[in-house]
Amino acid sequence: MKRTSEESQSRLPDNSALKQQQLPAYRLQLTATGVLSGFFATGVFCLGVGIILILSAKSIKEIEIKYTKICGNCAKLREDATNFDKECTCSIPFYLSETMQGNVYMYYKLYGFYQNLYRYILSRSNSQLMGTDLKDVGTCAPFSRSHDGTPIAPCGAIANSIFNDTIILSYNLNSSIPIEVPMLRSGITWWTDKYVKFQNPRSKNLSIAFAGTTKPPSWAKPVYELDQEDPENNGFLNDDFIVWMRAAAFPTFKKLYRRLNRIQYFTEGLPAGNYSFNITYNFPVTRFRGEKSVVLSTLTWSGGSNLFLGLAYTVTGAVTWLAFFSMMAIHLMLKDRKMFFTQQ
Amino acid sequence: MGWQQSLQESDASKVRTIYLNEPLRNSFCKNSISTAKYSIWSFLPRYLYLQFSKAANAFFLFITILQQIPDVSPTGKYTTLLPLVIILMVSGIKEIVEDYKRHMADKLVNTKTVIVLRENTWKTIMWKEVNVGDIVKASNGQFLPADMVLISSSEPQVTCYVATSNLDGETNLKIRQALSETSEMQTEKQLSSLSGKIECEGPNRHFNTFVGTLYLNDKSPVPIGPDQVLLRGTQLKNTQWILGIVVYTGFETKFMQNSIKLPLKRSNVEKVTNVQILVLFLLLLAMSLVSCVGAILWNEWYGEGIWYIRMKEYISYSLGFDLLVFIILYHNLIPISLLVTLEIVKYIQAMFINWDEDMHYRRNDVYAMARTSNLNEELGQVKYLFSDKTGTLTCNIMTFKKCTIAGIIYGNQSEKSDTDIRKLSLSPSVITESCEFNDPRLLYNFENGHPTKDYIKEFLTLLCVCHTVVPERDGNNIIYQASSPDEAALVKGMKNLGFVFTARTPTSVTIEVMGENFTFEILNILEFSSNRKRMSVIVRTPTGNLRLYCKGADTVIYERLSEDSRFMKETLTHLEYFAKEGLRTLCVAYADLSEEEYQQWLTQYRKASTVIQNRMQSLEECYEYIEKKFLLLGATAIEDRLQARVPETITTLLKANIRIWVLTGDKQETAINIAYSCKLISAHMFRIQLNLNSLEATQQAITWHCEALGTQLSKENDLALIIDGETLKYALHSEIKRSFLNLALSCRAVLCCRLSPLQKAEIVDLVKKHVGAITLAIGDGANDVGMIQMAHVGVGISGNEGMLATNNSDYAIAQFSYLEKLLLVHGAWNHFRVTKCILYCFYKNVVLYVIELWFAFVNGFSGQIVFEHWCISLYNVLFTSLPPFSLGIFEQCCSQKSLLAYPQLYKISQAGNTFNTKVFWFQCLNALIHSFILFWMPMKMLEHDMVLQGGYTTDYLFLGNFIYTYVVVTVCLKAGLETQSWNKFSHIAIWGSIIIWLVFFAIYSFVWPTIPIAPEMAGQVKMVLVCPYFWLGFFIVPIVCLTLNLIWKSIRNTCKRTLLEEVREMESSRAQKFHPTIFRKRVEAKKVQMIFATPPHEVVLQSESFDQSIPRGYAFSQVEQAVITQEELIRSYNTTKSKQDKVTMDSSHSRQK
Repeated sequence: MKRTSEESQSRLPDNSALKQQQLPAYRLQLTATGVLSGFFATGVFCLGVGIILILSAKSIKEIEIKYTKICGNCAKLREDATNFDKECTCSIPFYLSETMQGNVYMYYKLYGFYQNLYRYILSRSNSQLMGTDLKDVGTCAPFSRSHDGTPIAPCGAIANSIFNDTIILSYNLNSSIPIEVPMLRSGITWWTDKYVKFQNPRSKNLSIAFAGTTKPPSWAKPVYELDQEDPENNGFLNDDFIVWMRAAAFPTFKKLYRRLNRIQYFTEGLPAGNYSFNITYNFPVTRFRGEKSVVLSTLTWSGGSNLFLGLAYTVTGAVTWLAFFSMMAIHLMLKDRKMFFTQQ
Repeated sequence: MGWQQSLQESDASKVRTIYLNEPLRNSFCKNSISTAKYSIWSFLPRYLYLQFSKAANAFFLFITILQQIPDVSPTGKYTTLLPLVIILMVSGIKEIVEDYKRHMADKLVNTKTVIVLRENTWKTIMWKEVNVGDIVKASNGQFLPADMVLISSSEPQVTCYVATSNLDGETNLKIRQALSETSEMQTEKQLSSLSGKIECEGPNRHFNTFVGTLYLNDKSPVPIGPDQVLLRGTQLKNTQWILGIVVYTGFETKFMQNSIKLPLKRSNVEKVTNVQILVLFLLLLAMSLVSCVGAILWNEWYGEGIWYIRMKEYISYSLGFDLLVFIILYHNLIPISLLVTLEIVKYIQAMFINWDEDMHYRRNDVYAMARTSNLNEELGQVKYLFSDKTGTLTCNIMTFKKCTIAGIIYGNQSEKSDTDIRKLSLSPSVITESCEFNDPRLLYNFENGHPTKDYIKEFLTLLCVCHTVVPERDGNNIIYQASSPDEAALVKGMKNLGFVFTARTPTSVTIEVMGENFTFEILNILEFSSNRKRMSVIVRTPTGNLRLYCKGADTVIYERLSEDSRFMKETLTHLEYFAKEGLRTLCVAYADLSEEEYQQWLTQYRKASTVIQNRMQSLEECYEYIEKKFLLLGATAIEDRLQARVPETITTLLKANIRIWVLTGDKQETAINIAYSCKLISAHMFRIQLNLNSLEATQQAITWHCEALGTQLSKENDLALIIDGETLKYALHSEIKRSFLNLALSCRAVLCCRLSPLQKAEIVDLVKKHVGAITLAIGDGANDVGMIQMAHVGVGISGNEGMLATNNSDYAIAQFSYLEKLLLVHGAWNHFRVTKCILYCFYKNVVLYVIELWFAFVNGFSGQIVFEHWCISLYNVLFTSLPPFSLGIFEQCCSQKSLLAYPQLYKISQAGNTFNTKVFWFQCLNALIHSFILFWMPMKMLEHDMVLQGGYTTDYLFLGNFIYTYVVVTVCLKAGLETQSWNKFSHIAIWGSIIIWLVFFAIYSFVWPTIPIAPEMAGQVKMVLVCPYFWLGFFIVPIVCLTLNLIWKSIRNTCKRTLLEEVREMESSRAQKFHPTIFRKRVEAKKVQMIFATPPHEVVLQSESFDQSIPRGYAFSQVEQAVITQEELIRSYNTTKSKQDKVTMDSSHSRQK
């Protein structure tokens, strides 16, 4: 209890504000003026941002075509997995009433496909995808090895269930001759994915590099034949593959498929007119009561057409103003009452 | 109960035999004591056991083990282990630091030195080396290291004095006398040739009993009783040296046997928290079950259709397995860091208490000390305060303060000097031994022939002659040895007035008045007893007259006054005045005796003193004959000095709605005096006194009083209840316990006197069990240990030599008045801090982890988490660990000044309204709403997937990082909203946490593949931070969450303003230089409203049942019925003779050393 004198000497800075709990502090006091002006300012800010967001979202052109029902025959065919080798195509004509200015992006959209299932997300091998160890399939159950024990490359449920429809957009310039709209299949992945997370095994010949592995059961061709024209887009580096491998957050999601190559007629974007989607229908969705659609969209500074954020800002702004006015009213009323009491 | 068990054990234990000078045959427990929790070897197992016996830690251990099952954990294998290890390490370090301090304190006691006879010479050894059978030599002022049997002493009649205040709280010294058989054994030679044995009862906890027999070779056995026993913890007083044989050591001493095993105290808040953790656990189970059901339904709905995952391979996993997955998924709902956060927060709070300069007693350089940090917030909830008197309320110093002589009051100087003294005692609390009586009028009247001159002379002479004090010359100084502190104060007071008591011989006393010596022959001493309430001496004055001097209680003196006696009325008024001031009064009177009368009485007296049976009684009857026809001289007033600022503190604490009960081992009169002087009882208060000696009578009285109170029972009345230990014994019988408690609770002040240590603890236990309010016990002596340990919070007064009370307390302070700051400031602050911290910890965990549940609704209840594994496991230990600390350590509801100025603010924390199940659920609901907003808004934002420039699409973790960032921001800002006092640390904690997360996020996204963790995170930061939606959401999501809280808070503040709000407003307006007095009026008005919302009930009672008469303040401490009578004792001294023999003894000692 008693402290020795040396100690008490070393305790000289005892009277510091910290030890005596006397640090200068700002008292957060919810005064009427503070709260009310805060609410007013927040309201102004939110309403302003909200209106800007709504206007910019409105400027976006977006067209979505669900093709599960339109291609009903194909859908039916794909319900039976044994028909995997039968090709099924489907053409969907549509009319674009307004020109889509600027960059146009083509997405495919799946409804009711749970890419966010725990075991689905787990079922991939990041080290395999790095190209370092093709045989590392430990985490890929139930798609780690084929029946004869050969490791699957790329292994896992995500890779196995890759979206494998082909969608080609054609433009009917003169209502007779369809022109295939030039689309870029590159530049649709995150930089990190393409250059860090996904690497082909080091070898000049990909087919040799993937020797000793087998293709995923649902795939029509092995991974080294995904794009034989462009070696930068082949194997694990295939952009469509990489895009698919980022598991979406919700059961309804879009994935970037192609982007418009702005050449020829399309330097300004997609001109108004007649178009059609030519779809090779491979990906079964009716089995899990899902749907597929294809989406064409332009983007603004804030991204795609989503009114939510604009509305959220506007509503918040409106609510804060409402709160501001009602609190002002209450405050004034109570102030009068208080005066009354003090006078008594 | 623990001690009862130990009591039985010790009673059952066998007789012990101690062989003299045969150390090898005496093997008993060691004399070293240990109050520490761990030793080096027992630390790890014991610590782990203690930690994992906490439900929460065991739960996390269980989760960690579960996570090791392959494939079951959606959050990785070590994500719970790491924070758990961090947390265990942090609290382990804290335990080590605390236990180290305890080891040091024990070491201090164990290494005190004492002189012991070893191998025929005196050796100085440490206390811990003392063994049973050792012959110990202790000198004046020393504390005794073990229980021992007194062999011999330096004093005549082989007596010695011991101060037992450490054990029983009594102020007077106790006399112990050695057996005559051993009294001559003083030299080493004699002692080492001593052979034989002592047989005595086994160790037990009764202070006042001892049964033993001394068998010396060649002699018949001699019985040893409690009068020969010196106990550990007592202090040798007024005795040069003593020799004793150790009989009990260490934990077997009566002193240690009385200390109950240190109970683990847990605060009320902690208990509520534990319940809430349990509730959260149930919520966790419910969430897991809901998710399981969801998973089953989902699987039913989709079934085989989910071709991309081949569901059928997983169907084999059972429901139980799913449940485990979800328990692991949601387990963080229980805040893993809460316990360790609280431990650290409380530890630092305790350090603030230790550092507080306002509780630094500069005179002894003693700081307040929080010996445990568990109970910091409990200090803010105290409802009942049980205080010891001696040494706690008082300094245990008696001073002669005032007197009244022949109807004139002296020493009653103007208030100015009084306040001067106050100030003096206030600042560095200087307490001097000197007498405070300072009235020049007395001597002026005496020297200048005032009409009352003769009375003054007689009065002063009487006080110099009529007592049992022994003067001891020390050079030119005279030291007075007295077993009665009152007499010592009086004799010292007389000395200062020039009436110096200089010498005592067996038959006479000599006093020196103005340089002239007068010798009074002491003929008889009519001893003090608490029945007689007076003592007298019959002297032959220097002029040869016979005179009887008497001092005693006003009641007994007034009965015996002769008809000629004057000044009766004035003296009575003065006595009442003294009593109101809380002074201890004694009336002083004399009677002249004729030779004839005296001789007649003397024969009677001789007869009485030879009576074998009931000698005491017949002596007292005999005294009655001569003690009559007194002439009143006046009265003395002695101050049992209160500690500085005790009355003010008590007033403040009463205002803070704390009920104060005084539990003392001392006499009733003394206790009442102190209650008056510290303003606990005021003169207009009714008093209920219960002094009864049978169960029936007690029951009857209590029932009667309860009935008299009628509807006012159990409400606070302006009453004081005074009860003594004897009556309390009956009152605590199980049948009437309840009604006694009701009666006691109806009184504003309760005084319990003459209590044994156990009774003190029993009372505290009674209130603790039946009232359910938080109790605090404060005391300084060993007799208070029981109640200190029993109460929710035990406070020890530190600084005096006996350390037992402080060693068993939770908080040690040097002065009673520091209680004010400890409770009103530290207690209130800590309560607010801890409760805020706890609620906040719950809040932040619920907010983050319930999001997993919302996410489960969109991922088919598959157990997927939306965040990265390590991010969620570091949430509690890294990203949001600082705000709870800043809340728990630096939060201040309002300034210290206001808390002390408006004690009413204490009621807020006392009532515990800031932390109960309702508040908890409210906070949880708030967290649920926040978590829903925090999930729903980013979900809606990202639903369309097209949020990035370049059209890139996102993944689940992109959403996760959005949500996680918003959660961290919202949660930190919420802490900011809760923080009412922002200092620099709050800023660091709040803004720092947000920055830490962002920095971590940035670095963590580049870790893969260099370090093989978190492949999912790779590249996230680049995409997230460039996303405009992210920044748009960064503002709107926290704003939406917190605006709700802000609106709610503002409305509540506007409509239902609390006193706290008013005070806070005043503080902030004071900063803006508003007129404070106007505000003060408003607060006062509010205060009045608060106080008189339940006005104190006007007591309209039959006056005969309640005593409202003004007491006269009689109190006197003296040894009674000791082994040797006062008369024998003082007659054995002859202070005129030089102490030749003693000197030789002393020099021989020093040579041997």
